[in-house]
Parts: sequence; C-alpha cells; structure tokens
Amino acid sequence: MMINITIDNVQYQVEENITVLEAARRVGVHIPTLCDHPELSPYGGCRLCLVEIDGARTLQPSCTLPVVPNMVVRTNTERVKTARKFILTMIFSERNHFCPYCQVSGGDCELQNAAYGEEMTHWSLQPNWKSYPMDASHEYIILEHNRCILCRRCVRACGELAGNFTLGFEERGADSMLVADLGVPLGESTCISCGTCVQVCPTGALIDRWSAYRGRETQVDHHETICVGCSIGCGIDVLTRDNNLVRIEGDWEAAVNNGVICKVGRFHPVDNDRERILTPLVRKDGKQKATTWDEAIGFIADQIRSSKNGDGTKVAGLISTRLPAETLFQFKELFADQLDCKAVTSLEEGLPNANPTRYAEVSGPFEARLEVIDRSDCIVVLDCDLVDKHEVAGFMVKRTISNGAKLLVLSSEDNKLGQPADVFIKIDKAAVKDVISGLHAALMADNERVKKASAASGVPQDQFTTAAQLLKDSQRPVFIYGKNISADEPDLFDQVVDLKKALGLPRDDYSGLLGLKGKANSLAATQYGLDKAVDLADQKVAFVSLGDDEISQRTMSALEQVPFLAVSATYTSALTSKADVVLPAANWMEQSGHYVNLEGRIQKANASLDAPENIWTSSKIIHELAEALGIKAEGHTWKKELTTRASSAVLFE
Amino acid sequence: MTKPKISSDWLAGCAGCHMSLLDIDERIIKIAELADLRATPITDLKEPDEDGVDVGILEGGINNTANEEVAHRMRARCKLLVSFGDCAVFGGVPAMRNFHGIEASLQRAYVDTESTDSEGKIPDDPELCTMTKVRAIHEVVPVDIFLPGCPPDPDVIFYALSELAQGRIPELKDDLLQWN
Repeated sequence: MMINITIDNVQYQVEENITVLEAARRVGVHIPTLCDHPELSPYGGCRLCLVEIDGARTLQPSCTLPVVPNMVVRTNTERVKTARKFILTMIFSERNHFCPYCQVSGGDCELQNAAYGEEMTHWSLQPNWKSYPMDASHEYIILEHNRCILCRRCVRACGELAGNFTLGFEERGADSMLVADLGVPLGESTCISCGTCVQVCPTGALIDRWSAYRGRETQVDHHETICVGCSIGCGIDVLTRDNNLVRIEGDWEAAVNNGVICKVGRFHPVDNDRERILTPLVRKDGKQKATTWDEAIGFIADQIRSSKNGDGTKVAGLISTRLPAETLFQFKELFADQLDCKAVTSLEEGLPNANPTRYAEVSGPFEARLEVIDRSDCIVVLDCDLVDKHEVAGFMVKRTISNGAKLLVLSSEDNKLGQPADVFIKIDKAAVKDVISGLHAALMADNERVKKASAASGVPQDQFTTAAQLLKDSQRPVFIYGKNISADEPDLFDQVVDLKKALGLPRDDYSGLLGLKGKANSLAATQYGLDKAVDLADQKVAFVSLGDDEISQRTMSALEQVPFLAVSATYTSALTSKADVVLPAANWMEQSGHYVNLEGRIQKANASLDAPENIWTSSKIIHELAEALGIKAEGHTWKKELTTRASSAVLFE
Repeated sequence: MTKPKISSDWLAGCAGCHMSLLDIDERIIKIAELADLRATPITDLKEPDEDGVDVGILEGGINNTANEEVAHRMRARCKLLVSFGDCAVFGGVPAMRNFHGIEASLQRAYVDTESTDSEGKIPDDPELCTMTKVRAIHEVVPVDIFLPGCPPDPDVIFYALSELAQGRIPELKDDLLQWN
C-alpha cells in the first residue's frame, strides 16, 4: 500500500514498510550516510542520517525509522546540518583520520566525501591522539584500526552476506574494537578471504594489500564482466589503470551473486605469478624456439593434413571449459564438424554434467536456479564441496542457515559445512548409494529398508530418521550435488531424483535439485557435445586449447602418448614444456564471450584488458588455424547450437 | 584605493604549501597587481608590518613555543588570519608525533635512527624553544579562513588569494574543497 509523506515540504507517495532513508532515496532526496549500506541490514550506528520529524522531540536516524502515513520529514534544516557537522567532527576526532597519508583519500573515502558534502573546511575538535594497532597478518587484507569508524558494515557483511561471522566487536563505546573471532590476528582467524568487508568499508580501515595506493576511483577504469573461476559466474567489476589490473570487486547489481564474490574471484587473479608465454614456439632439434605465428600455425596445419587417412583425421582436440561459448563452438566446428575428428572433447570430458544431462534427455530440464538457496528452509548438501569450490554457493548456504534454515550434509569427504549442519552424515565412499537409499527409506517410513541401509552403510538409523524429519518439515528443500554424484553411476543420480520425488513437491523454482557444474563453461561444452571421454591412444596429433586453465595429471599422461602435441596457452606449464608447438593465448580478462552458468544463465564476459602485443585470443588462434587449413570455423551459430540438445537447466539470459 | 596587504609565514610544515603557492606561476603577478605582498618566507621582509596587514597566512601546525610566538604575532598584526594547508588546519603529518609523545619522538629522531652513530644525543641547549604537542593553528589563536589541502592545489590558492586581494572572503566548496 502507498502512503503519503512529506520530505522537505514536498509531498510524496511511498510504499509502507520502508525506512525514511529508503523513501528519500526512492524519491531522489539525498541524505548522507556512513554505516548504512544498501545490501546490509540497517544499523543506526553512525547517526549521520539524522533527520527532523515534525512532532518528534529529538532528531531521528532515517535509516532505522519506518515511514508512517502523513509523516513530515525535514532533511536540511539548520538543526540537522549542525548535528551532521557535529557527528562528523566526533567521528574525525575519535581516531586517526588525517587524510594526506591515507590510501582512500581523494574520492574513495565516504567519510571524507561526507565532510566535503557538509562543506567542512576543518574540525572544531582535535583527535584524542590515541594510537591503535594495525593488523597486517592477513595474506590479502590490511586492517588499520586507526581508520575505523566503528560502523560495523564489515561485521554485517561478514555475517549477512558471506555467512561467515568471523568479524565482530569487543568492548563498548570508545573502547570498541573490531575483532576477528575471539581477538586473534585476521590472518590466523576463520576468515575465508572473500574480501566483502574490504569492499564495504567506507574508510581506509580495511584495505586490500594488492591494490592499495595503485589507483583511486578517479584514476581507474571499470569493466563490468563475470568471473570465470567456477560455474557460478558471479558478476564482477574489474578495475584497471593504464591496462594493468588493479582490483576486482563484486558487482552489487549482478543477479547471480548480488555483489558477493570469493577469494578465487577477488584475489587470485591479482595474486597471479604464473609465467606468461609471449611468443609462438616451435620445437626444433629437441628444443622449443621462438618463431612467427605464420610458421607455428603452418606447422600445425601440415601435421593435421598429414594425419588424414581413410577413417577420418587422427587428430584429438581438447579444449578448456574456461573459454567462451563462441570459442568452444568454433573449436567443435573445426575439429569435429570440418575435420571429422573423433576425439574432440573438453578437458572436463563432461563429467560434472554427465548424469543430469542424461536425465534431462529423457525428462527435460529439471534443475533449479541459485536463488532457491536463499529462499530454502532445508538445504541438503549431497557429497559436494561448497567451501573450497563454488564458494559463493557456500556463502548462500551459510547465510541461509543463519536465518533459520536447516542443513543436512551427506559427505564422503571431510566437509567444512559439516560443522554447522543440523545433521552431518559422514559416509564411506563405497556406501553413498546405501546412505541415499536409507534417507529415501526414512522419508517413505520404510523401516525395514532403513535398517538394511544402516547395516550396509554404518550410519545409525536415527540419523536417517532425523534427517528425513527435517526434510518432511520443510516447505522449500533444495538438494545441492556436484561431480561426485553427477559423474557417478546413473542409478545413484536416479536415487537423488527419487529423494525429491519422495517429498511429493511440485516441480517449481522454489524447491529442487541444483547441480554444480565444474568450470565456468562446463554446461556450454556439454550442450555442444564436447563431453565425451576420449581415447588418445591411436591419435597422431593433439591440439589443446588450454587458455589460462590448468590440466589434470591424468589428461597430461594420456597426451604424452600422442606423437605431435600443439598447445595454445596463456602460461607456461608442464604441458607447454612438452608441446611441439606452443601458441601464446590471451587470458580470461583479455577476451570477450559468453558463458552458461550452472543454472543455465547465459552471460557475457567483457574484456577488461588488452592482451600484450603478439598474443591472440583462443578464438583467433582457432580461426587462423582453420584458415591455414582452407576451411572456416567462425562459431557464429554458438547460441542456437546451445539448445540443440536437452539441457539439465533451462537456458535463459 | 590602497591595495590590501598580505603577509605569510611558515611553522611546523614542510614549506610545500608555499611551493604550491609558487605553482600558481605567472598568476602571482596578477596577485601582486591587486595586493601588496609583504613579509613572507620567500620575500626579504621577515616580519609582518607592525602597523598591521589585512591578511595573514600561516602554513604548518604549532609544535613549539617559537611557533606559538609567531602565531600570536601574526594574529595580532592581521585582520584576517588564514590557516594554510592541512598542517595548519588539522595538525597534519607533524601531528603524527602526538600519537607517540615528545620523548619517544626525540629519542627516535636523535638517537635511535639507523643513520645515527653512538654519539647521538637529544639537543638540550637552553636557548632552544620548548617543544609542545602539535596543534592546529585554531587551537592556539582564532582563525578566520581555513584553506586545507596537502598541499592546497595551486588553483585553490589562486582562487583564495584573488578573492582576498579583492576584499572578499573565499568560499571553499565542491571542487575547491580538498583535504587530500
């Protein structure tokens, strides 16, 4: 329902159940804030947003005050302005807020900007000259207590967004101190290095070691794109300066992750010391020698031509699933369609999607979207790791259980989500089927089968019944599984589907099955049929489009059997050192293209950096190789081809 | 009409604000046309006129009794006092010593520094002034105009000086307000 309120003598209609601050923002009236953050719950700590309310004795914090019908709000009276200046003066005088030697001064500091907004040329109160410690124990983050204004944005971000609850406060009033865990150095705490605290800090209290002093807001360029660290595909903002990577931040507008990213997305790309390949290399007399693109491509083309015989071309094509859909499809066009090679696949060989895709080919798309996690009241983690990989999904799980949802973890390995779980069933790898069968039996109240499953798996019967009860009490359960289930025997996956069926739930977006998909473009590779297990044994040539990815030991050993190996890669590795031809490829930040995330969302990654001179994108390398072979591989129909095969999740943009 | 007289001095600062003043380049001629530049650290005259100046400008904070004396003298001899730069306005970089105390700072500066030999000694000549806590100018004498910045941008300085030279009070806001 809409209600009438008056802000600064203008009447507005606003929704009820919002705060005065929210109402002011929606109608375009600026109220300065510090502790408030749009993605965090209102806190009312800094008092900068004080406003005058007609009929109220004192000034009121607009960030925590709900609007009521016919409320009269004044945001710019002398009383309000005097209070704001006084509040800012108090904040400045509390700790060390001398701007000249602070990393965020000059546009990046919300405290400084607030003072500018009030046209403060000086402070009427001087600091209390107390020195606070600085905590530089963390690998990526520096915590400078002297700059802290006690707004607790970081504490709220840590708990509400990352669900990690590492940061907190000790003591009261002027003695308040931000602490990690029970007062340990940040670097020794339970911090999982997602860096959300750094991104929300309004001052220079939490800064990131790598980007500090390397570029302010006014000096950097922003590139809105997506992370290709895993199949979640979080929206990110890549900050660059003079074609150098400065920092990566979460994109608050991104539908997938709403601004939260993990260490893989935020810090790993900056903390990258892999050695770049800068020129094409061709092996001559046993040694790799620098050469021209023409010679390198021509050499590979010759090898491909000469490996043709009666039953197709004996060339294996392997491509990384960190590359864009356009490139994947182009690769398939060249090797599978045009050259008629049999051994063409992705480096993941489709394993993360094997069973879900098989199931979808029979029954159509069935997998849920990520948003079901935040809405769920009972999350079942089925033998997958949401802490070291696909970590942002782990954040979603952790923050949802902190809001009261139940968590069941069934895991064959050590699982860090086991600790907060309501029921943690640790299972023997060989007994996964028995455990899922036991849970199913408990849901069906089939005591005989529960007993049998318990005996076979060693899991006590009451664990099955407790877990089943939590599921029965739930309205919106979600089952999250990964490669352990998706790549295992088909009937194990069918058992998982049966679990959901046993709950008698309608097939809608609010409950369901959610499969992790491995790397950024696993699903796209599967859709293009780049998901076969291939035998490299009788191949004469192997072409690996590795990009900035890494290769498994198993694939590498298999490639050693192939007489001629060509690799296009960004960084030197054991694989490139074995190759007969090495082509320098752009990394993920230097190329544009589309990715299909685990929920089927098609997103575009935009280039944020120019590749060094003489380095080509993987796409251009494939294009030029095709040209040298006198054929075409453009990848133009990549989008249409995504849907020629049934997919486990509905594809959407 | 007589030109307004402007005088300046520097206290516990680094002289950078006066350097930034010189960075207004040829525009200083315009200022000199509008105003009478009297005693400054970069002119020959060393003390503001006894019969007073219109504008007094002080760079740097106040960190000893000698600075206090200069500040009091400038205040007594000028109509409008300008706090020039972050050290004058806030205490600035020299005020970092307030976090550690005078004793510890002297010990560090004269004895403990890596480049000091075993003869290092804290100066104790009785003719030396007494050190104090580092303070902003307005903690010692009343200030009329605050011109923050480390250093203030030459354009900001030119704006402020030209306003003062023409008998107006500069208004620092938006792009002209920079603490840096």
